[in-house]
Amino acid sequence: MRLSFWEVLQRTKEGPIVEEKQFDLSIFKKVGELQRKYDIKYDPEKPLDVSGDLADRVYQAGIEFFLDMGTYCTTTRRVIKLTERELQAEIASSPDHVELGQGEDRIKVVHRDVEGDQEPIVVAGIQTAPFSDEEMMFKITKGCAMDRCVDGIWGGILLKIDGKYDVIAGTPSEIYQYRKMVAIMRKAIEAAGRPGMVIINNAPTSLATIAMYGEESGLRRTDGIETTGISEVKVAYDDLNRSAFGLANGMHIHGSHSSVIGGFSATPEGAAIVAVAGALQLVAVHKAESFRCGVTEALVKSRVTRKELWAAGTAIQGLSRNTRLIVDGSIGDHPAAGPGTKQYFYESAAGHIVSTVMGGHSTQGTRKYVVGTVCNYGTPLESRWMGEVCKGAVGMDRATANRIVKYLLAIYEDRLADAPEGETFEKLYDQEKLEPLPHYQRLYEEVKEELRGQGLHFRE
Amino acid sequence: MELSNLPQGQRDLLDSLRDAIVAIDEEKARNVAEAIVNEEMDPNTAIRYSIAHAAVKVGEKFDSGEYYLPHLVMAGDLMDEVGTILGRNIPSDQIGEKKVIVIGTVQGDMHSVGKNLVSTMLKSGGFQVHDMGVDVASMAFIDRAKEVNADMIALSSLLTTTMPYQKEVIDDLASMGLREKFKVIVGGGPVTEHYAKEIGADGYAKDAVEALREVKRLLA
Repeated sequence: MRLSFWEVLQRTKEGPIVEEKQFDLSIFKKVGELQRKYDIKYDPEKPLDVSGDLADRVYQAGIEFFLDMGTYCTTTRRVIKLTERELQAEIASSPDHVELGQGEDRIKVVHRDVEGDQEPIVVAGIQTAPFSDEEMMFKITKGCAMDRCVDGIWGGILLKIDGKYDVIAGTPSEIYQYRKMVAIMRKAIEAAGRPGMVIINNAPTSLATIAMYGEESGLRRTDGIETTGISEVKVAYDDLNRSAFGLANGMHIHGSHSSVIGGFSATPEGAAIVAVAGALQLVAVHKAESFRCGVTEALVKSRVTRKELWAAGTAIQGLSRNTRLIVDGSIGDHPAAGPGTKQYFYESAAGHIVSTVMGGHSTQGTRKYVVGTVCNYGTPLESRWMGEVCKGAVGMDRATANRIVKYLLAIYEDRLADAPEGETFEKLYDQEKLEPLPHYQRLYEEVKEELRGQGLHFRE
Repeated sequence: MELSNLPQGQRDLLDSLRDAIVAIDEEKARNVAEAIVNEEMDPNTAIRYSIAHAAVKVGEKFDSGEYYLPHLVMAGDLMDEVGTILGRNIPSDQIGEKKVIVIGTVQGDMHSVGKNLVSTMLKSGGFQVHDMGVDVASMAFIDRAKEVNADMIALSSLLTTTMPYQKEVIDDLASMGLREKFKVIVGGGPVTEHYAKEIGADGYAKDAVEALREVKRLLA
């Protein structure tokens, strides 16, 4: 029997009080111990664990980490802990499939096996990036939604109200604008002929996130709700507010957490262990039914470095092999390079191949790592690429994935620090026809042909 | 006193203290610091040489990927502890005051990783850092800066919709007639140098290593 959300909340008020710095430092000490105990070693020559043996040990270490360390609640400064029996009940009782969206656009999100042939769900769109105006938001979202290899759409941001007033988190402007943006997205997916397509969006505050819901023109119960864990293995009441809203409305809850290479997880090995623990936190504490098992690197602005691919891929594989949980990989969602460049496609492909082959879905959209306030910094073509790569990698074995990833790393690895910025939508797309300009289409086809030659079987 | 004028034995002690801090060897660092005090060496020389050089070395190791955030935290704590031991021999009227920085992630923003890196880097770089955590209201930054008589306010933001709070702090300081009293540095994922200039910040850094350099420049 699962631990109720209210029992979890009770533990945020009754667990031991710990100074945050001590908790952070104990992450470092604990992963060091577990790394040795489970003989977990990162080998740069092998960006993917092809046998699965290492992934199993990472999974076991992640379980032990979560049971020993617990989750730190930053609101109450207390640690939430579960017993092994409680944790195993959480893992066993969590669903192995959920359904999202409506009508003909309804999708089934299932547990995926390593090298499995289950369909990976692709939620694309230019995630949380700013649009210049409502018309541009409508156009780009419509373009992304029209693509049949895209199953759902992420929201972006309009930074000004009436083109003049800043949208600021935690103020009335955030509530107003996020709700309005969902209405624009809904019109866009209707115009794309996919009115029941799932939309995912997450505002900075839980108040504005909850305010986005409304069956007519807002987010719907069938869209689910996002909740995030704070890096690393922490939670705040603002995150749990989203879970409470989801539970009260019988909605699917999707969680997201990232461990940090160079942070308190320290090493790639530590980050892999903490990525598993963070995923377990999302299931047990946030009550998420699917979750993004993420890894990021403190000093590199890309999520597809060799270390990140290894750490995230191994953690995802460990969860996929040892549970029936629904894992979201999404490793290729934040390339260092910008849209309109070959490097963007190379980085994105490496991440999404690893996500798919290791047993993950990809639901976190497309976006250059740091966008800033540059508007319209992406096009529907990156969404298509995400979809084509994820669907094309279905059934690929790990040895092939490892070979392709090494090929891609050799191309982009040394160019992450000075990655090309790329171009905005206006420079890459015919805005009336909603089609890539010829030079961008050619670049896309060239990279696609190159990867086809490497053994990625795109669906026709 | 110039380092070259010191007897070899005393110079060895200073090197030993520096190396112990860099290696985060707490026991050795404490023992060497005690030995420096017992030798009645000039504690300010030890602070300027051993601790300052150790801070640079630790920062380099972090930048190169050899050290991680926990190493920065532990080295920073050790420098504090060693500084306290050495400070016992400094007359109260000769204690050099550290520059004071109030740091935090702005309101509505729960992201802590980048801010933690900068906070720890500044601490290990010899600054007195008051880390207010995440989701900090603009006026809370100002109140704390006044309370601790800060030299600088450092503002982190990872979201485009929380960046305006960086501007709010600067605008509030101006409205209260306090803008000249505190330097303001900004950073975070979506923040750019252009934006920093636009909102009237004194400084900007794209990462933790650059932040330390920029803060040293601004507070020189």
